[in-house]
Amino acid sequence: MSTHQSDGGTARVIPNWESCIDCGACEVACQRTWDLPPESDRIQVVALAHGTDDETNKPMQCYNCAEAPCVEVCPTDALRFRDNGTVRVDAGMCIGCHYCGVGCPFGAPQYPDAEVPEAEEASPLGARGNGLMDKCTTCEPRQEQDLEPACSSECPTDALLFGTPDELSEKLEEDHVSTPFNEEAARIVFGDDADEIVGE
Amino acid sequence: MATEIAFELPYTEWNWRIGVYVAMIGIAGGAYLTGYVADLLSARGNASEHGRIAKYGYLVGLLGLAIGPPVLLSHLATPFRAMLIPLTMTNLGSWMAIGAYMLLGFGLGSFLMFAWVAFGRNRPHSPTVAEGSEGTLAADGGRDVSSDGGAEDGPARAATGGTTGGIRGILNRIGLLDRLDALADYTRPSEPIRLAIGGVFAIFAAGVLVYSAMAYGSGATERVALWDKTFLVPVQILGGLGAGLAVSVGLTAVADRSVTPTVQRYSLAAAGLLAATLVAVLATVTLLPEQVPAAEPAVENMLTTHATLFLGGAVFAGLVVPILLSVGTVVGQRRDALSGTAAATSYAVAGLLVVAGKVALALTYLLAAEFTPMPLPI
Repeated sequence: MSTHQSDGGTARVIPNWESCIDCGACEVACQRTWDLPPESDRIQVVALAHGTDDETNKPMQCYNCAEAPCVEVCPTDALRFRDNGTVRVDAGMCIGCHYCGVGCPFGAPQYPDAEVPEAEEASPLGARGNGLMDKCTTCEPRQEQDLEPACSSECPTDALLFGTPDELSEKLEEDHVSTPFNEEAARIVFGDDADEIVGE
Repeated sequence: MATEIAFELPYTEWNWRIGVYVAMIGIAGGAYLTGYVADLLSARGNASEHGRIAKYGYLVGLLGLAIGPPVLLSHLATPFRAMLIPLTMTNLGSWMAIGAYMLLGFGLGSFLMFAWVAFGRNRPHSPTVAEGSEGTLAADGGRDVSSDGGAEDGPARAATGGTTGGIRGILNRIGLLDRLDALADYTRPSEPIRLAIGGVFAIFAAGVLVYSAMAYGSGATERVALWDKTFLVPVQILGGLGAGLAVSVGLTAVADRSVTPTVQRYSLAAAGLLAATLVAVLATVTLLPEQVPAAEPAVENMLTTHATLFLGGAVFAGLVVPILLSVGTVVGQRRDALSGTAAATSYAVAGLLVVAGKVALALTYLLAAEFTPMPLPI
């Protein structure tokens, strides 16, 4: 398991929707690991197609898109690409304008209202509260210890896959499951690597 | 364990404050531009009458900025950080950053142009004694209560800088008028240069008008089809110009008691711009769903769930009634069927309705909007 960017590209967490049983372990793991306030939803099991016969519950979080719309619209450059290709929000620069929330196709940006005195000090690991933008950080400190992100690590059904595009492609193939992204979404998330994922 | 999708509607991200902000900066940009046109026209004759529209156009620009951006700041998590615009707004690919710089330049321009035409003994458009009484309601009370001249000061004082009524009267009562007059005279450049500077700031005002459309979604329209810029930009530009001019006319009529033929012509121009806005809005409702099928649910929302706000507030009260009031008042005046006071009241009511309608339209665009379905194979 690669925990850092390798020649294979940026390592991300993506859902294996066919395995999700809506247990919420990922939400608990994320909140416990980073001591997040209850208002924070860096990962959330959401109801899609709610109220229809196709209703289903799936985990959603930031995919650290290669062509991230949030980075494009952020007026203060609080959202930036890091060297490893992930998208990181600088709590010290965010003004809480919600432009990223309107721009993100996946609803990843959160703006928890919880008062978190140490929000500034938590940078660059996210704002966590104070009405500033907060999102998944791909558990970078855990990766530095060669650990997977907390959500994928604790998911009981391996419904959250972590790895580079090559590795994710292999895992999807091994599990005989389809990608959770259509062509348009894959282009936003994986950029030039989209063909590897969509092609499976 | 599962919950509703938190990003179901754009209004969950942006609330009424964004609507007020967008409406106010649109009115401000339009008012400045119409004021600047009046400023240019004053060189061709009837300077004091065009000058009144120019002065109040610039003032409405300032007032719009005094209301809109603070309301926006109250929506932000860190308003004081956001106020450090030159340091924090660094991504010029974002329309919010572009708009912030536009507002900064526009604010400076509105302030300078208003100060230069409203203050100073040598200010442009300063009326002669004869002009000062022409068409004003001075006759109603036997005393010219315009901001530019007062009988109690005598003809010479009136011609060079009156102190009764209007903004100047207020400032005179608090003891600031003489200082502001001196400062304005000291800083004011020659007339050609002043107009050239005003033209530069007009570019910023035009930018603010465009920004009032691009602010919806920061230019990106992929997620919210209702905010398609092909339709939204004309609505916002025409609406801003029409509203700005209508408010300037209303303020001129009330503050300076001026309902002259020149003001009437501006009122007709405002009605024309508002009529064009109405056409652009109706085009959005009828053509947008055909051009952009993803916008159909949002347009449906405008016509059903938010029909009272949209059809009642934005279209009828904010566009149709002001158009009828503006045109009807001019017709009434020209047929001598309306007193000056009634006409001034009518122009003022039209201006107020336009402001309410602009806010209603901006709120409709937020409330009725829906995100396009996520690009996921659900």
